[in-house]
Amino acid sequence: MIKLKNIHKSFGRQQVLKGIDLTVQKGEVVVILGPSGSGKTTLLRCVNYLEKPGDGEILIGDYHLNCRHAGKKEIHALRQKSAMVFQQYNLFRHKTAVENVMEGLLVVKKLSKEEAYRRSAELLEKVGLGSRLDAYPSQLSGGQQQRVGIARALALEPEVILFDEPTSALDPELVGEVLEVIRRIAAEGITMIVVTHEIGFARDVANHIVFMDGGVIVEEGSPAEVLSRPKEERTRQFLKRITPEPNYSI
Amino acid sequence: MKIDLTFIWTAFLQILPAIPTTLVITLVSVLAGFVIGLLAALARIYKVPVLGQAASAYVTFIRGTPMLTHLLLIYFGLPVLLDALSAQFGWGFKSASIPMIGFAFISFSITAGAYMSEVIRSGLLAVDRGQLEAAYSVGMTTPQALRRIIFPQALSVSIPNLSNSVIGMLHGSTLAFTVSVVDINAKAQIVASTNWKFFEAYIAAALIFWGLTLLIERLTAVIEKRMNLYNRGGIV
Amino acid sequence: MGAPFDLSFIFRFFPKLLDTLGLTLLIVAGSLAAGIFAGFLVALPRMYNVPVLKRFSQVYVSFFRGTPILIQLFLFYYGLPEILKLAGIDISKAPVLFFVIITYGLNTGAFLSETIRASVTAVNRGQIEAAYAVGMTGYQAFSRIVWPQALAVAVPVFSNVVLALLKDTSLAFTLGVMELTGKAQTLGALTQHFVEAYISLALIYLVISLVLERLLKLAERRLLRHEQPVSTGGGRFRLWFRLPRARSYRQLIADANAGKGGAEL
Repeated sequence: MIKLKNIHKSFGRQQVLKGIDLTVQKGEVVVILGPSGSGKTTLLRCVNYLEKPGDGEILIGDYHLNCRHAGKKEIHALRQKSAMVFQQYNLFRHKTAVENVMEGLLVVKKLSKEEAYRRSAELLEKVGLGSRLDAYPSQLSGGQQQRVGIARALALEPEVILFDEPTSALDPELVGEVLEVIRRIAAEGITMIVVTHEIGFARDVANHIVFMDGGVIVEEGSPAEVLSRPKEERTRQFLKRITPEPNYSI
Repeated sequence: MKIDLTFIWTAFLQILPAIPTTLVITLVSVLAGFVIGLLAALARIYKVPVLGQAASAYVTFIRGTPMLTHLLLIYFGLPVLLDALSAQFGWGFKSASIPMIGFAFISFSITAGAYMSEVIRSGLLAVDRGQLEAAYSVGMTTPQALRRIIFPQALSVSIPNLSNSVIGMLHGSTLAFTVSVVDINAKAQIVASTNWKFFEAYIAAALIFWGLTLLIERLTAVIEKRMNLYNRGGIV
Repeated sequence: MGAPFDLSFIFRFFPKLLDTLGLTLLIVAGSLAAGIFAGFLVALPRMYNVPVLKRFSQVYVSFFRGTPILIQLFLFYYGLPEILKLAGIDISKAPVLFFVIITYGLNTGAFLSETIRASVTAVNRGQIEAAYAVGMTGYQAFSRIVWPQALAVAVPVFSNVVLALLKDTSLAFTLGVMELTGKAQTLGALTQHFVEAYISLALIYLVISLVLERLLKLAERRLLRHEQPVSTGGGRFRLWFRLPRARSYRQLIADANAGKGGAEL
């Protein structure tokens, strides 16, 4: 289970997160929606401590962190509980696909090289890249890179995988392959928090939808509730602007 | 021997009159080098037969050898060559009539030309090809496009590298002492050895060069700011 | 001036000059080792923003880049013993080569520190974030992710610094070191065939430069192999995707290069 309590974050004088409370049950897929600048990406990055929250508490699994007194050690321990899939993929540019996945297993999980390779190859097979193990990121398409990114996150077997707009840097024709992989992982019961603009994907895959605007959670609930019968005017406005794509193809 | 701080000031004052010589050598080599460099760069970019290859060989040779060897080769080689030609064609010209500083001018210009050709070439190549096509599309000829569109843009990207070249030539001008030209460095040597205070004299010379270099860097920053106005967008 | 030009002397001088090649290369290698050490020492305070030391680093770099190496050479040769004497250390008997290597080392360090700094900052911020997200510590992220990529960016500039250093060693003769240039002058004076001696000298420098350049190019290609396209496989997206990347890498290198673009002695 993941619990965020009263998360605050400011950039200079601008308050980006104004006290966020969020609970994610084990095995749940939570999709965070919201207009740009609503603070959804910042929230996600706070969970992994890539942004340092000004105040609040983060609980992942059995690890509890009070953001007021978080030292290097605590942050490091927290990070090991989660994994992240980035908008810009952020694959290690000097390492091949399989090396990218192995990296965390070798350095953080201290696996042997053989074991790390075996598991990495397996995971890449799973995301459909079994034939591109030795390709460098610069030799892969955006969709392929992002699938390596997903395998890299999976390899760590974290409590939760955080997806930061995983398809928004992709060419439209590559979005499908990445969403398909995420959907399959979701079906395996892995806990995920996903920031995305793909409404159709949210409707299909999410158990829980959170709508954020102006640094607060405006509304949350099941996909049916939030997407079909939004209670708040702001949610309605937002959904109207984003034309849903009901037949996102898989 | 103790360090004599007041002598640094004395040496400083004695070296000051040599500054113009250093600056003249730098200026001549930079200006002549720019012209040589531009021609060499164009010959290479446009792959002019023979000239293009010659320019490449020139740049490779100069960049692959120390500036000192260029000076020594010119100083010892040019008179031999000129006197031989002169005798052949009856010019009545004697190499002895070339002033010492002339060797520095010629040699340093050749050095600067090679380095600057690389700077100019990379500047020209940095300009987007679309700019040239746009210039053609409004009906410009190649020379017009080069002069009005490409050169100004290339120049503004090249400013930092050009500034480095100028500083390189300023520092390189210290080699002029080998052909008995009294620049800042040679003057420092004279002041040092006549007073037997080497350290102090060279501190003074170093401070002068440091100041001149900082001045060039400051000037570059100002020029860069002015030239890059178009890059910044927004209202100036 | 001198004896009449005789082509055969150029060839006759080669072996004699090559005898001193070892000394020239020793100066290059020694200075490079000292320079890499100094470069890191100087780059660190600026990368980590250490208050007073940062200022010191800036002055150090500014001085060594702002004064001619010839002046630095004299400054250290005459000045270092006097300064150390104040501290009670006597190095007036140290061999000239020591001063030459110290000076070139400190000089190279100034240029390398800039390169090190630029290359490290050139590595995309996302790479560090990804390393943290995978669970690495700061040190692991630096040594496994940032450093190897920075190294690849640094090689072209490093190569420039090495070649500049090689050419700068020609000035060591002013302190009486019998390296390539000093030897060429002696041979010229001895035989009065100056032009031939210097042609011979220039050719040797040229060949060493070209060989060094080629070697460093190979190193660069090896370190940057992850940025190279493969001809096999890949779809139509590749073209769209890679072009901006490839360009941005060149840009990085060009940016890092700005440090030492000028003419070297």
